[in-house]
Amino acid sequence: MSDAKSTTRDDNIDAAQRIASPNGPALSVIVPLYNEEESVRPLYAAIVQALDRLGRPFEMVFVDDGSRDGTVAIAASLAQRDSRLRIVKFRRNYGQTAAMAAGIEHANGEVLVTMDGDLQNDPADIGLLLEQIDAGFDLVVGWRHNRQDKLVSRKIPSRIANWLIGRVTGIPIRDNGCSLKAFRASLIKRIPLYSEMHRFIPAMASIAGPRVAQIRVRHHARRFGESKYGLSRIYKVLLDLMVIKTIASFASRPLRWFAILSLPLFALAFLAFGQTAVDLLMEGAISLPIAGSGVIFLSSALILLCSGALAELIYARGDVRDREFLKLTQTILAGTRNPQADRAL
Amino acid sequence: MKPQAAPPSLSIIVPIGTRRTADIGALYREYRTHIAATGATHEFIFVLDGPRPEARRALETLLREGEEFTIINLTRNFGEAAALTAGFERASGGTIVTLPAYPQIDAADIRKLLASLSTADMAIGYRSPRYGNALDRMRRAAFHGLVNWVTGARLRDLGCGARAMRRQVLEELDLYGEQHRFLPILAMRLGFRVSEVPMRQSAQDRHARIYRPREYMHHLLDLFSIFFLMRFTKKPLRFFGMLGAATFAVGAVLIAYLGMERLLFSEPLADRPALLLAALLLVLGMQIFALGLLGELIIFTHARGLKDYRVEEIIQYPDAVAVSDSGSDSAAGEEGASSEMRASNPPAITA
Repeated sequence: MSDAKSTTRDDNIDAAQRIASPNGPALSVIVPLYNEEESVRPLYAAIVQALDRLGRPFEMVFVDDGSRDGTVAIAASLAQRDSRLRIVKFRRNYGQTAAMAAGIEHANGEVLVTMDGDLQNDPADIGLLLEQIDAGFDLVVGWRHNRQDKLVSRKIPSRIANWLIGRVTGIPIRDNGCSLKAFRASLIKRIPLYSEMHRFIPAMASIAGPRVAQIRVRHHARRFGESKYGLSRIYKVLLDLMVIKTIASFASRPLRWFAILSLPLFALAFLAFGQTAVDLLMEGAISLPIAGSGVIFLSSALILLCSGALAELIYARGDVRDREFLKLTQTILAGTRNPQADRAL
Repeated sequence: MKPQAAPPSLSIIVPIGTRRTADIGALYREYRTHIAATGATHEFIFVLDGPRPEARRALETLLREGEEFTIINLTRNFGEAAALTAGFERASGGTIVTLPAYPQIDAADIRKLLASLSTADMAIGYRSPRYGNALDRMRRAAFHGLVNWVTGARLRDLGCGARAMRRQVLEELDLYGEQHRFLPILAMRLGFRVSEVPMRQSAQDRHARIYRPREYMHHLLDLFSIFFLMRFTKKPLRFFGMLGAATFAVGAVLIAYLGMERLLFSEPLADRPALLLAALLLVLGMQIFALGLLGELIIFTHARGLKDYRVEEIIQYPDAVAVSDSGSDSAAGEEGASSEMRASNPPAITA
């Protein structure tokens, strides 16, 4: 055991600069932890045991999401004896999406694996995920076989959510709630993760058009502690879905999205004005509510179109671009190699 | 810019705004005496928020008398948050203290404020016992009740200008407008530990307040902006979507009702003003929703620059021996590591 500790206390560590170095680990396992003091040690042991068998260099990134119990102390004691373990400690609880995003940012591997910290995922399945990555997939999502959770409060809502997400995003993921996933680092590091997007990482990643594989993984009943999520509020999921749909399909052409929104309003305005014109010709008098509604619909449709123009402006000034996503997943089928273009990523 | 000598440990920033005027000279002497009594090296920075000729003359008199401090004169009134930021840019101390520019608290209690920094990242004073008539008390209780309810904090005196904080707190905060009032709340949001320290109210501060309606308005708007900032910055559609969907739903129900009456009871639709209202509500709902989508687009296109979280530390021992099997003797390393862990109280906020 060495006493040389390198506990950095830096609050704005710009980990975006860390790019997977050629001699870095091939694999990073990212685990968000929130009040998991009983699980940390068995989790660590299980990961190490499973990965040692694979025989490729790896590192573990444990993200402590502001735990109030002994999670960090236990994890730190493990880190003291294993240089492959890195602990990213949050100043307070920021939620699972932030923990995932931080883990992804602070991981140096070429392939990143995320999993839950509550021992419900089995690290022994990581090997299966990696096989799919090696086979050329960019994103491998586990789905929990024989899921060990309550039916009414957990399984049924999540089935509905999965169906909805599949319908809306066009990528039918069986189990969006399963944290056990593997990504190519180059892909996931470029995907913005914020708010409560952890449920939608595959959907979010779909903006880059990844090759997605889904494999069956084991799921254990919770051994320690309390489940941290109750019945998720459906309206949040619906709104988040709306956001992802907007972003995934319209981010690069928002004007079109707003134009589509304004179409029914134009139609209504047309109907109302038509009725008014007919009334005027046939009876010589108009109905004020109908003519007024027509004016409201028309002006609203125009305002929506203007919003679309504003959205175009926002997109043009933003720093996220469609064209960087296509580079993440493209394959060059034929043509000469252009080292400059290869390096551009 | 940094002084050649060792930087002082305390930087005291006094923003001088329009609100209340006082004898700056006397105030400075009082502050200085009590801060010198703590034995800490210190520097004073006065920020004149716009032309304040009276205060400026008083300070220049002090300078001629041999006192040493910095004066920053802003060309116009930028607001107290901006004044604090301007002062902070010149401050070199590891601990930043802000003090009100009028006698608000008993300067002897500044010592208590500094002392509580040993267990917190930021300490703010609250006037206790607080003098004031029933109306004052009611107004304060309502304001703080509202703030605490909205933000999840538990604070008693946001109007108190006496605050002490580690340098890092101000480095990370991005203040603007009237946000100085909500400094502790914004700090908590970043995960800093904030403690409240009771301070005796200065004798000159014990008078009833009269506020104009405009000031109530400003307070409420500030509160709203903080509310929005804390809850919905990263998810604007949650806010606009809810509002828009509710408006839309009311309009849809109204339209459905009117349509039913038309179809079932042959009640004519054309001359009912309720139709106008329904159309207006439907359309308004859509507009609000569209605004939310615009907000989401702004967040998405800037998501790289926004960071949801603050990392306190990264723990890794690069020289540690990789142990392949850890299950058996894992208890051994525990004592060594836990001693270097910082004890941390969870912040009182979960926004």
